[in-house]
Amino acid sequence: MSSFVNRRTNVKIAVGALVCEESILKGDITIGPNTIIHPKASIIAEAGPIIIGEGNIIEEMATIANRLPVDAPEPTTIPVQIIGSYNVFETDCTCEAFKVGDCNILESKAYVGREVELTSGCIIGASCSLTESDTIPEDTIIYGNECQRREMHGKPYPPISQIEFLLKILPTYHHIRKPNIVPTKNEGGL
Amino acid sequence: MSYLNQPDYVCYVCNCGSLKPISKIYFCRHCSKIRCGYCVCQEVDSHYCPNCMENLPSSEVRLKKNKCSNCFKCPCCFQTLSTRAGHVPLRVVPADGEDSKDVKTTPKKVYYLSCSLCRWTSRDAGIPDQSMATGGWPEQENPHTSRINTLIDYHKILASIEKQQSERKKFRPKHPYMQIIYLFSFQAMFRITSAMVRKHIGHPAKPTNESTDQPSPAVASTEVEELPTDIFTEPVEITKITTLEQRLQQPDVQTENVNELRPQHRQLLVRRSQRCRVCEHNLCKPDFCSQSAKFKIQLAAFYHVPEVRIVTCEPLRPGKSSELLLKFCNPTQHQTQVVLLPLDTPMTPILTLVDEKEEVKQDNAQQGSESPNLLPSIVRQVPVVEETKSIKITANADVVLPQNCLILPRRDDAAEYDDTGDTHNFQDDPKFVIWRKGNKAVIKLHVIPHENLEENNNQPVVIGFVMQYRYVNTITTLEHKAPQKLDLKVKLYLTIGNIVGSA
Ligand SMILES: [Zn+2]
Ligand SMILES: [Zn+2]
Ligand SMILES: [Zn+2]
Ligand SMILES: [Zn+2]
Repeated sequence: MSSFVNRRTNVKIAVGALVCEESILKGDITIGPNTIIHPKASIIAEAGPIIIGEGNIIEEMATIANRLPVDAPEPTTIPVQIIGSYNVFETDCTCEAFKVGDCNILESKAYVGREVELTSGCIIGASCSLTESDTIPEDTIIYGNECQRREMHGKPYPPISQIEFLLKILPTYHHIRKPNIVPTKNEGGL
Repeated sequence: MSYLNQPDYVCYVCNCGSLKPISKIYFCRHCSKIRCGYCVCQEVDSHYCPNCMENLPSSEVRLKKNKCSNCFKCPCCFQTLSTRAGHVPLRVVPADGEDSKDVKTTPKKVYYLSCSLCRWTSRDAGIPDQSMATGGWPEQENPHTSRINTLIDYHKILASIEKQQSERKKFRPKHPYMQIIYLFSFQAMFRITSAMVRKHIGHPAKPTNESTDQPSPAVASTEVEELPTDIFTEPVEITKITTLEQRLQQPDVQTENVNELRPQHRQLLVRRSQRCRVCEHNLCKPDFCSQSAKFKIQLAAFYHVPEVRIVTCEPLRPGKSSELLLKFCNPTQHQTQVVLLPLDTPMTPILTLVDEKEEVKQDNAQQGSESPNLLPSIVRQVPVVEETKSIKITANADVVLPQNCLILPRRDDAAEYDDTGDTHNFQDDPKFVIWRKGNKAVIKLHVIPHENLEENNNQPVVIGFVMQYRYVNTITTLEHKAPQKLDLKVKLYLTIGNIVGSA
């Protein structure tokens, strides 16, 4: 069953990644090693492929979507959505950003629109929403009900211990999709 | 709970003239009158920190400038900071290809402050980590301390001079040395130095003229510092500049750069008690313990005055009669009877059914004038008697008021769980009383909105009436040994809806 789903949606899961069976994956998706996708997380590659790097945590109800605005003209090239490494997508956040760097955190219910580029070490606070075209500088935190910005002193640490814990605990309670590529080639098995 | 969230549909008119829902008014059992937040004395009972819940005596509060010494708030987003434990970052630089594993140090536990909302940490501000969880955080120095202290000292002198003058008017000492005696007593009170006293005796007639103690006055300047030249060329980095709000949270420093923000001590909150201005009894007194949500005294009107709720109202048309259902609830332990009267009824309370006949006269004489002087006069606030405000709301619909009176039985908490049905046998007019259970009853009224109301001008339909209710005052005084029964009146204004359609 799962292999059928994988074939139809063309999901490439690297060895070492942990993708729960109940996650919703649509379209051409590449998932790098040590990335954890919780049950009921959605990754929707509608307009083009989504490439997710290493050591990301995508929690329940989080949505990563490569989708174009409804009224957008047909693009000349296929837009690729690239997610870097060690990002955390907390519960019920939505990320449509075409480019996400490393060590970013999207807190619960955060929304990042398509025209936004997250560089690295950015934190989008709970319920903050970014809809306008923008490049968020490194180590920026956006917080509070007015989306105030502040430059942090340093990047948030990669959630290594949390990844290790989830790699241990999730397979004991959930069905896991089988990895189908070996990441000996470059990043994420492209 | 719904009272807190929804608009005030049913308003009671306080004796000061303000309109309040029943959840926001008090009932003074000693005056048998409704009081509200505007017409009571608000007194500070205790100071406490909202974070660590510590109670502080008021003398200590003044010393600590109304701030908690243990708790801090984030200078960036003003949330409470939490203390985090961390390890000293191992700054082992491998010297010239040497293996760093050889230099093993046991990591020391250190503490820093961190904000869970905006992730500001005391490390951001460059504040060194502390080895103790309780802190010892460096205090921010107020750059104007010396100036403020000079001004305070000067005003202490002015206060003493003023006090001395008023005192001298009272006693008129015949001999000049008597002044010195007086001054020395003030010296103890205001800590004036003997030098000041001597100087002061030199000019007893005009004490405020140019003495050297007077601090140099602040000088207004029209010259403003030149802006740096790069202000027009350098791009503004908005994340590095503090906001107005952040500056105002630390008024003494008002730093411009974000990295100069320092954690601020958490401000204390107060617990207030409310006191009736007329009889000076407490209407509401919270428990002294800041953790407790209980009250020592809570004379909320909710526990003494019948509560009125709107059940339903038929669509309102100008000049047409509509049915209005109101629910009455008796919160007291005594049976009450409610009579609805027109708005122009005189509001004086009627004392009825007192067991001893002579008490009637006595009570009328004492209503409102009795003042038991519960506090020593220094503590007591001088009661400010305000004039009754005029009521700003006008009824724009007529109510057909029934002649019958509504009897509501006493509240019985056990009856709430009793499904066997009510055993009361009130001779209710079924056209008037629609429903009855325990201490609650629903009555039917007829409302006729005025002809000049139109659908589109969004003017709500307001009705008003006077509710007269029987109140049993169980407070026993020297004069009244037995509980008194009073017929009290309160004016009510109800917003019942909007006009639908035309006549
Ligand atoms: Zn009042
Ligand atoms: Zn505190
Ligand atoms: Zn903060
Ligand atoms: Zn009173």
